[in-house]
Amino acid sequence: MSGGTPIVRVENVVKDFRPGFGLRTKRVLHGISFQVSPGEIFGFVGPNGAGKTTTLKVLMGLIGATSGTARILGHDVRETAFREHVGFLPENPWFHDFLTGREFLRFYARLAKVPRAEREARIDTLLAWVGLAHAGDARLRTYSKGMLQRAGIAQALIHDPQVVFLDEPMSGLDPIGRVEIRDLILRLRDEGKTVFMNTHILHDVEMLCDRVAILVDGRIRWEGRLEEFEREGERKSQVVLANLKPELAERLEQRCQAELRGHGERVELRVAEKDVEGVLGMALGAGAEVVSVTPLRQSLETIFLSAVEGAAGGGR
Amino acid sequence: MTAVLAVAANTFREAIRNRVLYILLAFAIVLIAASMVLSSLSYVEQTRILQNLAFGAMRLFGIVIAIAVGINLIHREVDRRTVYTILSKPVSRTAFLIGKYLGLVATIWLLVAIMAVAFALTSWVGDAPLGLGHLAAVALVGLELAVVVGLATLFSAFTTPMLAALFTTGITAAGHLTRDLLALAAASGDPGVEAVTRWLHRVLPDLESFNLTLHAVHHLPITASDVVLPVFYAIAYTSVLLLLASLIFQRRDFR
Ligand SMILES: Nc1ncnc2c1ncn2[C@@H]1O[C@H](COP(=O)(O)OP(=O)(O)OP(=O)(O)O)[C@@H](O)[C@H]1O
Ligand SMILES: [Mg+2]
Repeated sequence: MSGGTPIVRVENVVKDFRPGFGLRTKRVLHGISFQVSPGEIFGFVGPNGAGKTTTLKVLMGLIGATSGTARILGHDVRETAFREHVGFLPENPWFHDFLTGREFLRFYARLAKVPRAEREARIDTLLAWVGLAHAGDARLRTYSKGMLQRAGIAQALIHDPQVVFLDEPMSGLDPIGRVEIRDLILRLRDEGKTVFMNTHILHDVEMLCDRVAILVDGRIRWEGRLEEFEREGERKSQVVLANLKPELAERLEQRCQAELRGHGERVELRVAEKDVEGVLGMALGAGAEVVSVTPLRQSLETIFLSAVEGAAGGGR
Repeated sequence: MTAVLAVAANTFREAIRNRVLYILLAFAIVLIAASMVLSSLSYVEQTRILQNLAFGAMRLFGIVIAIAVGINLIHREVDRRTVYTILSKPVSRTAFLIGKYLGLVATIWLLVAIMAVAFALTSWVGDAPLGLGHLAAVALVGLELAVVVGLATLFSAFTTPMLAALFTTGITAAGHLTRDLLALAAASGDPGVEAVTRWLHRVLPDLESFNLTLHAVHHLPITASDVVLPVFYAIAYTSVLLLLASLIFQRRDFR
């Protein structure tokens, strides 16, 4: 792979599901396109039912796209051999529960063509990485949900793939587990791997991802580097006032389209940065008391919410 | 190839954990043993009746087990989504299907071997003579079951377990009757009926070609072609079944 060639390239992928036996179809993906570059941690976020898992299943060749193309490492996703370089953790993974952790990883190592001589060492490494070294000889049937999730992650990495696809990697993990898996993902990046993760935990995205795409109702609403989020949206400040008269409150709301929360004693306003001075002047002039002024960081959350709301409010 | 064998080994491991299998196997062994009691009710040809009954039990239970175990195993991989991670590795859907098939056949052959031991013991206790013919007959039972597992694999590649069981049972039953139908049609002399039965005989598996019970029990000479032809027939027929299964499985959405 030369430097700039994308690891994942999705172009105009449409997916229709046929819920019943009839001819009626339901469009779940409306022609989505995006790319993931080498060495990136790519966050694919969106509300429940947006189509994240569906996209991942198309990429894994588990379902066929109705139209459009999807390529990984330059290969059409319907091919098989290149999957030697691809790891996958499905959503809510389930495995053959009669196997022990070790047997389970051995099975997947064989499927992934890990040379026999390296298998056992690789299994030990991964059991340690995901914190299951103590449970390698227990059957998966006896694993807790979080332990299964960890086993699933180990399975995805058993063959040291170049690119890893993770569907909700943090789901079911305790706080320590989350930190551990976060570190693991960062370690993968340090090793030069590419990571694609579906999630709706925005905090993880902010901590981990280099680039993000926001999917809403099967359409990509935003795609870019995380810093661009910050530049793009208008910066706002939070202003907290006390002793505010109702008519002033109303006037404030109208004048600078401030969002107003709370009543009487204390009122909290979200004001665009350029309006802060005007709001403060009006408030002080009317005898209100300024409790605090805090610049708000434009978080992924606000962008996410406005993307979702934008889609709901006539965005189509 | 490693992948096919890994899937086959895993399938075998899962299959032999199935309790239903052991219940059916126990039934089969009881029935094989009981054939001795039943045959003692007759005054003539006791040993032949014994072996006939025992072979019948072996074949019948073999078919029931093949269907019961074969139908569920592919469905379960899809239903429990283990197929997601298996196919995300460099494993083609065809390799997966062949692995499942081989694992099931290995399971069924193990059971046939156990039933054959029960058969041999019963024969020995009942003073019925045993020969190479019996071995050939048992081998062909195993071959027939490999075809039945192929049918089960084909149907479970695209339908629900219930329907797959129904179709497999139906075709297996029909596969035992095609020769009789052919004979009946010939007797009827109606060219239309004859054409239909000939066509059926060609499409449906001719499972009676795997039946050497009569030869074995009556110590009739068994020629090489009596064994070799069914082997080729089974390989060819099963290959077609698996090819169809793979074509269908290829197009399937796992959602
Ligand atoms: N097998 C199916 N048949 C019909 N519709 C389906 C099927 N699977 C998913 N869908 C629909 O496709 C849409 C997208 O589902 P998908 O599982 O991709 O969402 P998601 O973004 O992963 O959601 P979540 O965050 O809840 O995991 C949903 O509206 C869902 O109802
Ligand atoms: Mg999902």
